[in-house]
Amino acid sequence: MRTRTLAALLLVLALFAGACSGGDTEDSTDDADTGAEATEESAAEDEGTEDAEADGEAMDEEATEAEATEAEAAEEEAAPEEEATEAVVRADADLVIWADDTRVDALQPFVDQFGEENGITVALQELAFDEIRDQFSTAGPAGEGPDIIVGAHDWLGQLVTNGLVAPVDLANPDDYADVAIEAMTYEGQLYGVPYAIENIALVRNTDLVPEVPATFEELEQTALELQESGEVEIGLALQADPADPFHNYPLFTSTGASVFGINDDGTYNPDELGIDSPEALESAQKFGEWVESGLINPSVTYDVMVESFASGNAAFAITGPWAVSQEDPPGFRAQGVNYEITPIPPVDGGTPAPFVGVQGLMISSFSEQGLLAQTFVQDFIGTEEVQLALFENGGRPPALLSAFEQVSDDPDVQGFGEAGQNGQPLPAIPEMGSVWTAWTDAYELIYDQEGTPTENFEAAAAQIRNLIAEG
Amino acid sequence: MSTTDTKVDPAGGASRSPGRGSGDGSDPSWLERITGGGSPLVVLLRISLLGLVVYNAVVFTARLVDERAWLALGAMWLATVGLVWLFTRPGRIPAKFIVPGTIFLLVFQIYPVLYTGYIAFTNFGTGNVLDKPTAIEQLQAQATRVPPDAIRYDSTAFADETGALALLLTDPDGEQLFGTSEELTPLDDLGDVTTEGEQVTAVGAFERLSLVDAQEFASELQELRVPTDDGAIQLQSLTTAARAESTRVYDEEQDLVTDTVTGVEYRPVEGNFVSDDGDVLTPGWVAIKGTENFTRAFTSPLIRGPFIRVFIWNYAFAIGSVFLTFVLGLGLALALNEPRMRSRRLYRSLLVIPYALPSFLTALVWTGLLNTEFGAVNGLLGADLPWLTDPWLAKISILLVNLWLGFPYMFLVTTGALQAIPSDMLEAASVDGAGVWQKFSRITLPNLMITVAPLLIASFAFNFNNFNTVYLVTRGGPPIQGAQTPAGHTDILVSYVYRIAFESGRGADYGFAAAIAVLIFIMVAGISAYSFRYTQALEEIA
Repeated sequence: MRTRTLAALLLVLALFAGACSGGDTEDSTDDADTGAEATEESAAEDEGTEDAEADGEAMDEEATEAEATEAEAAEEEAAPEEEATEAVVRADADLVIWADDTRVDALQPFVDQFGEENGITVALQELAFDEIRDQFSTAGPAGEGPDIIVGAHDWLGQLVTNGLVAPVDLANPDDYADVAIEAMTYEGQLYGVPYAIENIALVRNTDLVPEVPATFEELEQTALELQESGEVEIGLALQADPADPFHNYPLFTSTGASVFGINDDGTYNPDELGIDSPEALESAQKFGEWVESGLINPSVTYDVMVESFASGNAAFAITGPWAVSQEDPPGFRAQGVNYEITPIPPVDGGTPAPFVGVQGLMISSFSEQGLLAQTFVQDFIGTEEVQLALFENGGRPPALLSAFEQVSDDPDVQGFGEAGQNGQPLPAIPEMGSVWTAWTDAYELIYDQEGTPTENFEAAAAQIRNLIAEG
Repeated sequence: MSTTDTKVDPAGGASRSPGRGSGDGSDPSWLERITGGGSPLVVLLRISLLGLVVYNAVVFTARLVDERAWLALGAMWLATVGLVWLFTRPGRIPAKFIVPGTIFLLVFQIYPVLYTGYIAFTNFGTGNVLDKPTAIEQLQAQATRVPPDAIRYDSTAFADETGALALLLTDPDGEQLFGTSEELTPLDDLGDVTTEGEQVTAVGAFERLSLVDAQEFASELQELRVPTDDGAIQLQSLTTAARAESTRVYDEEQDLVTDTVTGVEYRPVEGNFVSDDGDVLTPGWVAIKGTENFTRAFTSPLIRGPFIRVFIWNYAFAIGSVFLTFVLGLGLALALNEPRMRSRRLYRSLLVIPYALPSFLTALVWTGLLNTEFGAVNGLLGADLPWLTDPWLAKISILLVNLWLGFPYMFLVTTGALQAIPSDMLEAASVDGAGVWQKFSRITLPNLMITVAPLLIASFAFNFNNFNTVYLVTRGGPPIQGAQTPAGHTDILVSYVYRIAFESGRGADYGFAAAIAVLIFIMVAGISAYSFRYTQALEEIA
């Protein structure tokens, strides 16, 4: 009887462990994966700006949704509702800054220094990246928000439209990369001090592929050969779950397409949707071919991408600095795989242009310490020292040119920097909110090989126009 | 004992309380009157809880006064005083139980429903989150900018004894100017300048402020404008200043905003300032816009598009989830209710695991397990099934995940209910020669349903809005091809509307979302009310 109980217990535990370690290949019943699975997911969400838009938007409103339906839900089965995030309470200090975990460590010494120099108390509160914008949006007008947030430029559309962030005046905008200042500018007004630029690029396993492929066609051939010979599991690890317009964007632009038309001053024109332009349809066609040839694998999630490339099971990956510098679970650098970062090679002669995201510090328009906050971001964040410290922690190339130069001999920075030179800033206009879901759906249908690729893109464009008109 | 007290007290208390002096502590009814009576522990608990209530009221007072929310302030103090009064009296036992419950009901049930209802009639959403005065303030602040060619000065603040402020401005060439709210003068033209080394420490009656001192004047400094020929210099931070110009002026009397550059006038329309050409200024404010959100829910072609499909699947999903979880939960409960089964307690604890884990995490884990190529499910089956990307398999997957998440609840509920069925009934049935199936279908199940039916209805209501499972496992996908708006095969109403309300147009549209929430509430409430009447009938039969 004892043994039977024990056997049953073991069986249940084994099933349980097995259940928790999904997403991995074959022999993955070890418990280490259990925790990893969850953290990877959240790490992915914290990192990319794309996720801030595509996923992040989602999470918070979930809370709102929960609030709206709470009354009915109250009597039901007490299913866990942990995700309804609790409101963050403003720290008790003269100046309060909200930042995520990658910046908190870097900023702390400087924050302390600033406080000491000026005889004030400065508090640095840690929030998840996505949560910063959401909590800020509700806490700000209620007078409970921080004075400063550290965030991404594509939040600006929403924050400025809601009147939540205050303009910033920089005496020396020329000291920063043009794209950084451009991105932090909304409707002709600067709203933040940029500190880092990020974009995706091609990462290559140099042991498997010693030479930089000159063209995307060459890359495709190499990847498929390695995949077929069984040397790697995945030729090109391009995260595709959910089908991801952010990571597909460089390949999308290689035919000359762009998500929106671009005005003379470099801003996006929401009236000119580019998703069913002839160039875009051509790129849709190409995606269809890549799916058919097996180059694009719809099962590759962010986790699979990081895991497979870091363990040498993928020849190429298309991803950003976050996957390289990720510590837990170990990213490319921590795993010690030999890699090199280069721009994505030309596709059929066309130049791939990734989205460029800019990170910066923005000031709450409800700050009671407006001047102090301005002093902090203008006089302090713009210094080489601070920008370098932030680089050390997040791995994203600094936006201040002099700081960038200092780290430009780092091959990773060089690689990503070069890839970003053709980049387009991630649109901050609110209309971008209508784009993600419909466009993701179109890619997903291409990946599932439902309908023709051009049909799917045309349908997505129609959906987006409907949504924009309705909003 | 205490009942007699209440009868005695009013008479004695009325004559005693104005006197005050008579409370010498030796009188037990005096102590009881203050503390409400009871054992020392109860008294202590009551006093500390009331203390907490009063403390909270005091803390919130400052904030409510700050926001000039007089009504809320009055209501809060009325409630506080009422609570203190009630709980420091002996007796009134029913009220002592009902009042806190009512307060919680008001705060956590009634208020959210009413608030949701109110939001449904407003334009609350991206671009309209502020109140009107704040929105106007922000409109002007956003339009105040430093012209590109303006000179940026290094600035140091000065103050005189009367608290008047001034700025010492150094332009990029090193030339120094001294500005007050009246005028701007080159420093060299001012006679009375004290310097210490390179640093100017005083100008006339004005003395230099250190950064720390300057902070005391922060708000005044922020307002300080030093007039120049073509505008005014103002601080951009505590150490920099520049000439800034505002391009928007608000006229309070006519309630309109004018663009000083183009001359265009903007008038308030439904929460935004709008020009005659239809140009809308943001930010706007929260304003009532009537039933528009509701009419939109019914008339928008976008919503009507895939609505029917979503609606049907919503029912299938909710009913399917309840049915499957109930069947599995009941089956396991019956099996573990069997006395011949060994180590039942262990199994019971193990079975609750899915319920004990946060669904938020497990749902995400399940998406990994169901991954077509790298997932453990296909790995175990040795199959290559597109669990999450095929329309039908996705529906099955989501029901299975929901089954996994939901059966422990049903298991717990039915295990409890099974204990309540008198065993002599079953024994009597056995004596009469009833078989296992007969006993189950004629005795166990009907008796069980009396207790469980209301919970099944609640579970249906919950699953009808089970956003978590749908959104985390499939995100509503796979997409329906050729739909007018992005919609997926596994979308339920909540997740579908979520997309329209939050992932489209300018961003979040809380007003519209609230309107839909109200509609769904009505729907679910209707179903529940009907079902409860039906179960009452069931009870009468039994």
